[in-house]
Amino acid sequence: MALEPGQITVGSRVIKPEDDQTVLVERTLRSGQSVFYAGNVVILGDVNPGAQVTATGDVIVVGSLRGTVHAGAGGNEKAMVVAFRFEPTQLRIASHIARPPEGMISTGQPEVARIKDGLVTIEAYLATGERQAGGAKVTRKLAGARIENGG
Amino acid sequence: MGEVIVITSGKGGVGKTTATANIGAGLAMRGYKVALVDADIGLRNLDVVLGLENRIVYDLVDVAHGHCRLKQALIKDKRFEGLYLLPAAQTKDKTAVKPEQMKEICLQLKEEFDFVIIDCPAGIEQGFRNAIAGAEKAIVITTPEVSAVRDADRVIGLLEAAELREPKLVVNRLRPRMVRQGDMMTIEDIIDILAVDLLGVIPEDEQIIVTTNRGDTVVLMDRSRSGEAFRNITRRILGEPVPLMELERDGHFFARLRRIMGLG
Ligand SMILES: Nc1ncnc2c1ncn2[C@@H]1O[C@H](COP(=O)(O)OP(=O)(O)OP(=O)(O)O)[C@@H](O)[C@H]1O
Ligand SMILES: [Mg+2]
Repeated sequence: MALEPGQITVGSRVIKPEDDQTVLVERTLRSGQSVFYAGNVVILGDVNPGAQVTATGDVIVVGSLRGTVHAGAGGNEKAMVVAFRFEPTQLRIASHIARPPEGMISTGQPEVARIKDGLVTIEAYLATGERQAGGAKVTRKLAGARIENGG
Repeated sequence: MGEVIVITSGKGGVGKTTATANIGAGLAMRGYKVALVDADIGLRNLDVVLGLENRIVYDLVDVAHGHCRLKQALIKDKRFEGLYLLPAAQTKDKTAVKPEQMKEICLQLKEEFDFVIIDCPAGIEQGFRNAIAGAEKAIVITTPEVSAVRDADRVIGLLEAAELREPKLVVNRLRPRMVRQGDMMTIEDIIDILAVDLLGVIPEDEQIIVTTNRGDTVVLMDRSRSGEAFRNITRRILGEPVPLMELERDGHFFARLRRIMGLG
């Protein structure tokens, strides 16, 4: 889908973004509903199984992520996906496609997915950024997270 | 002025017609005037479930097209004074009625009846759009299966888009033993995804099949578990705060359910 900067559709409705960088979606996306946005997307709600979010930038879900998210849809390898409860059906970042291992359940903590060493990697999201507070760093790798070149 | 409630699910065969018949009978049992509308044109069922098939002369399509007056098409139930059925046509298809016509019929029914309950066809196409057109409230039915819950979620999204906000959920065919063994979705799992209020939980019960085949309802049967579940749902529709009965809970999730029901 060709995205104009600042353009957003929720389902079949075209919604005017708050600004041309980040859009707030103040609702839960249910099965069959989708959001496309050229920029970052913040969902204040859940992304249910069967729902889809596509953004050229980051995607942040302030709720449960159980549907499909594509961050960095234009090819941005630095894009990330953050969710308070991380149980996506499928995850895409730039041209990488990953699916969680069978039966993966959420840690119940906010987690972040991004590309590290060519793999989509999920880890605990620390509000302090990259600094680790002395403890062990827990990293979970997603199955099928190989680079899909040009895919 | 009555209230128009549509009973819908997305997925087929999860219990819409069963629920329409039993909730309708339950409300009529309490003395209310109830009209049941079979919106499943081409696959009508509600008349059979109520044992009224042999009394049909006119149907919903006849009313929509002005072939008869609404009163002529309404069939009085055998058992309950205040219960009436507006049957679906069997020989037409779902495009035989338009949403505008459904709206008009619901408006007319509302003037006569305390409750108008619409039995929605499966799916999310024209038949669904017709069925919800005249409704003010919605009850969504699901079974504790991933695919049924997914369809319920889709339907809730469509209802919200059609301004039918805050639908209530009924979970049908729950098998407490399977839930305890971890082989069936729990009520909590379902509510966690759908995030709507729970109206009630109906257990899997052979009595439903037995009564349905006889053209009868379980809601009348004092000792039936599913009958009790339907009586509770009826009371909740009437605004009474009825706690969930034993089989409607699944163990340690009770505390959370009480909160969802607004009782805790
Ligand atoms: N709680 C239950 N326990 C046992 N059987 C049930 C229960 N609820 C429904 N059934 C049976 O399941 C079948 C389907 O129910 P029903 O016809 O009410 O579903 P429906 O959603 O109206 O289907 P359709 O989508 O085809 O209109 C029927 O045979 C019914 O008797
Ligand atoms: Mg039916």
